[in-house]
Amino acid sequence: MNRENKRRKYDKGYFRTHPCTDSFTCKVCGWPVVSAGAGTGHRNHCPNCLYSIHLDNEPGDRASDCHGRMEPIGVWVRKNGEWAVIHRCTRCGKIGSNRTAADDNPMKLLALAMRPFGSRMISRSEIKKMTESLEGK
Amino acid sequence: MSEYKKEFICPNCGWSSSLDMNIDEPDHCPNCLAAIHKEDTEGYECGGMLEAVGIWVKSDDEWYIIQRCSLCGEMMLAPVTERDSRIKILSIASKPLSSPPFPVDRLEELTKMMGGRGKIKI
Repeated sequence: MNRENKRRKYDKGYFRTHPCTDSFTCKVCGWPVVSAGAGTGHRNHCPNCLYSIHLDNEPGDRASDCHGRMEPIGVWVRKNGEWAVIHRCTRCGKIGSNRTAADDNPMKLLALAMRPFGSRMISRSEIKKMTESLEGK
Repeated sequence: MSEYKKEFICPNCGWSSSLDMNIDEPDHCPNCLAAIHKEDTEGYECGGMLEAVGIWVKSDDEWYIIQRCSLCGEMMLAPVTERDSRIKILSIASKPLSSPPFPVDRLEELTKMMGGRGKIKI
């Protein structure tokens, strides 16, 4: 184990090939996060508030000096049909995407997906007008 | 076609329009919301197609299109403009909703199971 710890510390690309199973406390909401139950070895966001911390430039390299909070801004569907959370760093603006874990808060995920439907940018009256014009009225 | 009025032809969907390019050259196609990935973060030319994968609602009046390069996988943001196709925006936004990774009818049960907060209020 000692040898493994040394490799983790000094091997620069260690987390590019090895999953990180450390437990951590979320810096945004204080949620205690353990690696069990994620269904993935690459959990990078808090399952409760979905925030992440900007540590990597490329997945797993731990090379970023920013360490800013990465705010969840949306979800998208990958080619294989699974969801991924899109994060944007509130400090430097970097955007990243990460697979949703099995124990991510489903209500928070759905709230992210439903956000565009409750905003006045595309209002109901606008949609009604659009539908009528599509019908040729 | 005058010098000041160039025609905009989308390299992805072929949609064309004669917008006044001098005033506002679109950074993405208003019809399919795609664009060409010009430069990546290191300044190299990429040339891949930026496809719209999501919508970011920053505030009620400020929306962004989240684009992903099909070649290098980099994510980019492009502000939603007045002339962007509303149908395409709604179609992209509803894609995750129509294929949820968990059963939506068991939402409360699942949230309780992971110990998270949240309520369904109609």
